Amino acid sequence: MSFEILDPTHEDQGRTFQLAPRLTSLDGATVAIISNGKKGTRPFFDAVEERLVTQHGVASVVRLVKSNYSAPVESGLLSEAARWHALVAGVGD
Amino acid sequence: MPGVSSAAAHRDGNVNQSPCPLTASRHTVADLQALQALAQVRGWSDGLPVMPPTAEAVHACLAGALLTPDHLIGIEPVRERAISAEKLAINAVMAGCTPAHFPLVVTAFSAMLQPKFLLHGATASTGGAAILVVINGPARDLLGMNGGFNALGASDPAANCIGRALRLALYNLLDARPGEADRSTLGHPGKLSYCLAEDEANSPWPSLASERGCPAQASAVTVMAAGAPRQLMNEWTRNPEEILDTYVAEIRASMRHYSIWAGNYAIVITPQLRTHFADAGWSRADIQAYVFRHARIAREEWRSCGKGAVVGSRGNETYCALTAPDDLLIIAAGGPAGGFGAVIPPWLGPKSRAVTLAVGACTDCGI
Repeated sequence: MSFEILDPTHEDQGRTFQLAPRLTSLDGATVAIISNGKKGTRPFFDAVEERLVTQHGVASVVRLVKSNYSAPVESGLLSEAARWHALVAGVGD
Repeated sequence: MPGVSSAAAHRDGNVNQSPCPLTASRHTVADLQALQALAQVRGWSDGLPVMPPTAEAVHACLAGALLTPDHLIGIEPVRERAISAEKLAINAVMAGCTPAHFPLVVTAFSAMLQPKFLLHGATASTGGAAILVVINGPARDLLGMNGGFNALGASDPAANCIGRALRLALYNLLDARPGEADRSTLGHPGKLSYCLAEDEANSPWPSLASERGCPAQASAVTVMAAGAPRQLMNEWTRNPEEILDTYVAEIRASMRHYSIWAGNYAIVITPQLRTHFADAGWSRADIQAYVFRHARIAREEWRSCGKGAVVGSRGNETYCALTAPDDLLIIAAGGPAGGFGAVIPPWLGPKSRAVTLAVGACTDCGI
């Protein structure tokens, strides 16, 4: 015999995330990289930064590191976000 | 899907015959087998069978905690996701909880949502922690909880269902499924359920919750983001220092092999060992002070276990397992015979702090 049950999921309740507008070019852009702060991110983002500058014409790269790699980024770190053209949030181990 | 039909949420209240309507979407399933198939396909379950979260069962759970469906349990801050009593109750029913269990599920989840618990980090981390839940107070007797035999492993139905309810709620309300928001490299079996009651009746000490500030007569829950238990044995001494040296050795091993950073450790002291502490007149504070003094390693010790690469220039620097003596949670539990004990290490140092809440406490006003 059939019966009715209730949905146990959040049903997409809560904040909805939207992608930022896509850039058509990185030429002359300021790109920020926020690292989670783990040791392995350093050489990886060094390489990313080099490629952004040498291969994609990025004017400057802003490197930021979270103080706690298990917690959300501090709001203060994002205070200058309006001055960046793009942001890469990086998680490493 | 065969045997299943779904409908958008009934928001008019007509279906529930209740002044506080349930708002979750509804699905009609042909039978129990269809429910299990739906739960597996949708990722609602840990793989074990689930109980049907019918409106009647969910209303009963909510009534058991004197909560309305829209009562706000708390907000997970990373995703800014509100957790309602209705959704938590649905997951509790699926986990097998009865209405009498639900107040403890509510209290545990409220504790997990306290900022210092850092729920997102604790459940998403590669470190693989599970939520250790310790129940104190009269609820233990009401629910027939057994802090004795097999205390750390499926000791009684209430412990299993309460711990599992938290896990299913993490799955369904915060997407903490393996490979989704739960990025654990290994995890451990406690993720299914890691709940136990303290054996207060056979303990020489005030309860864990009362030591941590809850009224002694209240039912209470302590949650801790915890690694797997590390079992130890020392039944060849009655000397408290020597018994604790065994616990300390296990803590120091965890500091060497896993994480050196200080945080909450829990130790489980079984009746046979508790007898020796009681005979010697040792309090919880005495045990905490001893462990605080001795649970230390030098960074240099990393060399002995293959971690020489990260010793650096600070080899002589000493690290303590605890930031303060009361970081140590002492749990009286376990079967009556055997000189066993257990050390339960923190997920990762001080990132997540253990939280203790009395059932019915207001987390906003502290009452």
